[in-house]
Amino acid sequence: MGRLAGKRALVVGAAGVGNMGQAIARRLAAEGAMVAVAGRSMDVLEALATEIGGVALSCDFSDRASIFAMVAACQAQLGGLDIAVNATGWGLLKPFLETTDEEFDRMYALQLRGPFQFLQALIPAMTEGGSIIQVSSATATIMFHDHDAYMATKAGTDHMIRSVANQFGERGIRVNSISPGVTETPMTADAAAVPGLMDAFKKGYPLGRYGTMEDIAAGCVWLASDECFMTGQNMQVNGGLTLRGNPSKAEIEAAVTAATGAAG
Amino acid sequence: MMARLDGKVAIILGASDPRSMGAATARRFAAEGARLVLAARRKEAVEAVAADLGATAVACDITNEAQLEALAQTALDTYGKLDAAINFAGVGGSAPVIDTTAELLREQSEVHFVGTGLFIKQMARAMTGGGSIITTSSLTVLVQAHGYGAYAGAKGGADVLVKVAANELGEKGIRVNSLAPGFTKSAMTEDYFAMEAVTKAFLKEMPLGRFPTVEDIANTALWLASDEAFVTGQRIDVTAGQALRRAPRDEEFV
Repeated sequence: MGRLAGKRALVVGAAGVGNMGQAIARRLAAEGAMVAVAGRSMDVLEALATEIGGVALSCDFSDRASIFAMVAACQAQLGGLDIAVNATGWGLLKPFLETTDEEFDRMYALQLRGPFQFLQALIPAMTEGGSIIQVSSATATIMFHDHDAYMATKAGTDHMIRSVANQFGERGIRVNSISPGVTETPMTADAAAVPGLMDAFKKGYPLGRYGTMEDIAAGCVWLASDECFMTGQNMQVNGGLTLRGNPSKAEIEAAVTAATGAAG
Repeated sequence: MMARLDGKVAIILGASDPRSMGAATARRFAAEGARLVLAARRKEAVEAVAADLGATAVACDITNEAQLEALAQTALDTYGKLDAAINFAGVGGSAPVIDTTAELLREQSEVHFVGTGLFIKQMARAMTGGGSIITTSSLTVLVQAHGYGAYAGAKGGADVLVKVAANELGEKGIRVNSLAPGFTKSAMTEDYFAMEAVTKAFLKEMPLGRFPTVEDIANTALWLASDEAFVTGQRIDVTAGQALRRAPRDEEFV
């Protein structure tokens, strides 16, 4: 029997082929959960839902009505809700001084307001208790360059999960976040295609490799299962990255230069 | 389906009482397929826990490095390797800071800081194929509890040591983490649980509305010990969310 047998789960941010949300959804399903996958591209979601025997739901995570409609539809179609994972995200890399208000507003809508509204929709929907998992980032704790809007909103959600966990634990609802480090995903595909770039990160990982989407999916299974008695926590699932840190911009540029033989 | 610790060899230190976190973890690990070496100061007591599980029992005092080395060697000699090592050894002891003696500080440090450091050292030396080391922190590291300066100070120091060890040992494939139990009903806390005034005051500070159990601790150790946890240098909270709130003060125990 799977570790999540009988559970009803919602994973939002699963509409990108091969993304982290998809990896999480596949693993939750493999552990026996009935999984609803949500996001903006229905054709991609339908394919995933068919593959894992789940359901596909449309959601624009920057829109309150869309978030509430997704949660209601999930409740209706799965007959309730025990597990919810927010794996949406926008990995904007833009120098601090050049980040526009428009970009910051978009980041805020997706990565701070969306999670807030998602929690507002989930708490009343989880009538039998449950586990809510926010995908955060190691960069909510440690530094990286040109990632300010992203990091600020991720740090905001980490504190949000503490306050919500504190207030709704008595309903049997646990709320935690999980922090990957750099991970090869569609969000980082452009960066990973640059020779030498991903190698620059490796020395920051005590365990000798950076993480995979499967590592994060495994962490989600733990946080989602009834075996886990954690709440209000930010769990670092990144091989010890926070003990060391990310490479600086100069280190990355040097690694790329060395790998490509370019003159910088 | 494969059990989650099939083929693994684990040492659990602090498993002398059937009501302890160590014994609960031993039962869970055995159910998940691990082969076990159980240890505690009292040989007969740990033998009784081990007998039910087909485990090997060893007498070991965490303050004695030679005994820690021998404990690790027992795993290698008996089962050929060591994959996971969990330390639950602990000693109670409290006093207000202004009444704290050097003796109390040294005793707490000896068990919780020096002992933990030597445990990590000796277990890591035996883990030639990588592994997972887990030690026990405390709610008192996360929220301030009157009278627990020496206890929490030693445990908090050990948590810093865990991070340094994780950073150093990662490349050998060894993960090092701690778990922080909240106010958990166990052999060590039985007297407190007998006092309703105490349990009521604590329960009020637990967002999840119930006390952590030794089974919760065992489940957490299982997650950290399994190959699935790409986690190192971390302290995993098992406080029922109490770390978000506070520890009640003695005058609230009415």
